Amino acid sequence: MDVDQTRYLDAAKEAVKREAFNMQRCLDKSQLMDGLRHATEMLNELRTSILTPKNYYELYMMVTMELTHLNMYMSGEFIKENKIADLYELVQHAGNILPRLYLLITVGVVYIKSEECSRKDILQDLVEMCRGVQHPLRGLFLRNFLLTSTRDVLPDDDTQTADGGTIDDSINFILLNFCEMNKLWVRMQHQGHTRDKAKREQERLELKLLVGTNLERLSRLEGVTVERYEKQILPAVLKQLVNCKDSIAQEYLMDCIIQVFPDEFHLRTLENTFLDTCCQPQSQVNVRNIIISIIGRLSNFAQADPSNIPEDIKLFDIFSVKVTQIIQSRTEMPPEDILVLQSALIKLALNVYPAETGYVNQVLQNTLNIFQTEEGRAKGCSNELGKLLRVPVDHYQDILTVLELDAYPKLFSFLDLNTRKDLCVYIAEHIIETGTLIYSHDQVDLLLTMIECLVADAPDQPSNQIEDPEDFECEQALVGRLVHQMTSQVPDQQFLILNTCKKHLIAGGDKRIQFTLPSLIFRAIHLCRVYHDLREEDEKWEKKVTKILQYINSLLSALVKAEYWDLSLRLYLQASLVCDAMGISNAETVGYEFMSHAFAIYEEEVSDSKAQLIAISLIVATFERTINFSEENHEPLRSQCFRAGSKLLKKPDQCRAVSLCSHLYWSGKNREGAGEPLRNATKVLECLKKAVRISNQCMEPTVQVQLFVELLNKYIYFLGTGCEEVSESVLSQLVGKIHEDMPGLESGDITKQIVKHFETTLRFIESRHQLTF
Amino acid sequence: MVLVLVIGDMHIPYRSDSIPPKFRKLLVPGKIQHILCTGNLCLRETHDYLKSISSDVHIVRGDFDLNTSYPEQKVVTVGQFKIGLIHGHQVVPWGDNDAIAAVRRQLDVDVMVSGHTHKLEAYEKDGKFYINPGSVTGAYSPMERNPVPAFILMDIQSSTLVTYVYSLPPDGEMEVKKIEFKKGDREE
Repeated sequence: MDVDQTRYLDAAKEAVKREAFNMQRCLDKSQLMDGLRHATEMLNELRTSILTPKNYYELYMMVTMELTHLNMYMSGEFIKENKIADLYELVQHAGNILPRLYLLITVGVVYIKSEECSRKDILQDLVEMCRGVQHPLRGLFLRNFLLTSTRDVLPDDDTQTADGGTIDDSINFILLNFCEMNKLWVRMQHQGHTRDKAKREQERLELKLLVGTNLERLSRLEGVTVERYEKQILPAVLKQLVNCKDSIAQEYLMDCIIQVFPDEFHLRTLENTFLDTCCQPQSQVNVRNIIISIIGRLSNFAQADPSNIPEDIKLFDIFSVKVTQIIQSRTEMPPEDILVLQSALIKLALNVYPAETGYVNQVLQNTLNIFQTEEGRAKGCSNELGKLLRVPVDHYQDILTVLELDAYPKLFSFLDLNTRKDLCVYIAEHIIETGTLIYSHDQVDLLLTMIECLVADAPDQPSNQIEDPEDFECEQALVGRLVHQMTSQVPDQQFLILNTCKKHLIAGGDKRIQFTLPSLIFRAIHLCRVYHDLREEDEKWEKKVTKILQYINSLLSALVKAEYWDLSLRLYLQASLVCDAMGISNAETVGYEFMSHAFAIYEEEVSDSKAQLIAISLIVATFERTINFSEENHEPLRSQCFRAGSKLLKKPDQCRAVSLCSHLYWSGKNREGAGEPLRNATKVLECLKKAVRISNQCMEPTVQVQLFVELLNKYIYFLGTGCEEVSESVLSQLVGKIHEDMPGLESGDITKQIVKHFETTLRFIESRHQLTF
Repeated sequence: MVLVLVIGDMHIPYRSDSIPPKFRKLLVPGKIQHILCTGNLCLRETHDYLKSISSDVHIVRGDFDLNTSYPEQKVVTVGQFKIGLIHGHQVVPWGDNDAIAAVRRQLDVDVMVSGHTHKLEAYEKDGKFYINPGSVTGAYSPMERNPVPAFILMDIQSSTLVTYVYSLPPDGEMEVKKIEFKKGDREE
């Protein structure tokens, strides 16, 4: 097919070139009649029905270019000696209608310029006569020729010359041309077989500019005022569009109107003419893109300069009402279209009326109403709705404004679970990234209710869904992180926030609380410190701290119940530290409770021996830091540590745990000491002696020696911090033992390390304590 | 020039929500050869974040790291320096310099890195170097009121170690301090 097209086109172009050449030669010799004959031959090529629009255009351009030579001849040489009126008469006798009309237009323009005629009449004549060509493709190009040729001769003002014509006549001229062109264009839709429909529509789209140029030409007329636009132009154009019932024409030309005419015109005609027409339900127009286009344009106009919009034009209200009408009247409108329209409205509100959060809420409320009242309208809208709901989040940098939109969270129920989750994750990440603080418990409540599907199991969650544990961890860690953004500088308010969070997060169930409750616990711990700092100013601080400690306890109980042993043990220890920091007897009692819980978990639930050593070491290390336990409580805890350490299964572990306990008697503090460490040298040495005894019971020589060296370092440590009871003889004994056993060790890396450690230790003792062994 | 990032005690999500944006901007992939992390990440996502900055990541176990595959302590050699790494909750009393020194002796290292206290430190003692990168998120610590978010970058060139101590005080302006350490022959 294409080969034929090319061949045909080439042949046509050859013919045109030939006739044009001949025409020019005749004109050079002032042989007008012959020239016209060649011109006619040339124009006959445009009578073809074979060429595609693209190819026809190419041919048309070539031909019309040659016609300019004819025009020049007529305007120049010819007119000097002849009457153009006669020529105008003459060309009407050309054989075929198409060449006749092209020639007529060419002559007509010259005629008009010569001012020997009624401009108005000639123009009227030409635009009417073009009706003679009813073939869509040929007619369109012909009328395009008419439009472009008359570019400079259309009257453009009000001055009423005798037959000159006024701007109104020009408007009518162009409108008529436009209407006829549109009819031809629409007719193309119905030509040919149904199977070629797609191809035809494609061809139509290639030609759309021809029709649109009329509107563009209208907009260029200087005399077109807003009144003329409103009263003459727009109604006529819209009437044509509605009556033609062709969606391609309607969509393209509506958009054309929006683009070529100034925004002031649109504002004036918006409510009554433009939108009304769009919205006539029987027109199958895809109003979606048109509405979005006009909203976008006027939005930009308003943003460029707010004073552009007159006071009495309530842009948002107008569009809001109209869009609602459209949606309600077109019951087949798919949800994506509804949502895209609503999205455009929201953007209008956000960009042009940023202070009016009520507008945004209104749009959301309207959407909600539509989805709620009309069953099935929301089907399949998840993606688009998800996009819509992100718009306010992105625009309002802080989520707090979004929380004020009461219709916003209600729309979540129309999202499918995955989209809902994605949106909640998006919101949570947004809060963290922007560093937004949620500072009142009401806002916290709203937020956590809104992102419910992250915080707890959703009712529409399939029960057999297998979640990827890594993804789940990530998701819940996000919630845990979000907790830190829910904070108030006012302590009492912060406590309310903590309570609200607890309510929501507990509902998350066992699988979630391991990730979410620790954050709450630490925030509560921090709050205790805050109240303690402010104790001079708040006489109720002790009561409040007690309440917080109860709160912490309840959270810890939940974790224990869910059997998170390692986690809760560590959290009990941290909680006991903060109790200790409060320095009041209520807190001491609770702190003792917490330590007991830690021990209980240790004894009952930590069964792995490696984990046991780690756990008891942590308990000892934590307890060592406390300063406010009264001796009544301190003593049992010390003993408990020692007992637990000496009951570990493996000897080396026992040795290390017991030696750690030595610190409790040295740098540990109780209430009675009033800040002074216990410095109980006797007990310290007892511990270390016991540790040495346990080492002696180790089977492995390497391990034994390693432990001895470690214990040697412990002795040195205490000596270094003022424990004079660490005598030279104790040290010398231990050193001697090591010297004795060392040669017998198996050679290897570990032995090398132990030897090195020993040597370094001896050197240290020498330099620090001036003792040589 | 070998860059070593010393960082830790993020405590995400338990005590903090994220590493400060100003720090994240500096920690770009491809510039740092090694990472020494003192622990208490606490979850996998922070581990992944560290791995995105450098392919050689060394992590020791903090008291709130529930990942049992992290070792309690580690020794890493970079250039001429042997560097010891431990979280520090195991060292009793917490934050005691003599106790940390004992660990250094045991590991036999030139540089001892520890965390846990959330107290930013870099000092020389008896010819050896001690580093605590603090908490990169400025997370809560029972031992340090209002910790300042911080981390440390070491630049190791033959026998010289230059430490850049980055911190974010409350007024928001990032501070960088430079400390140089030369590996001497002086033994204790």
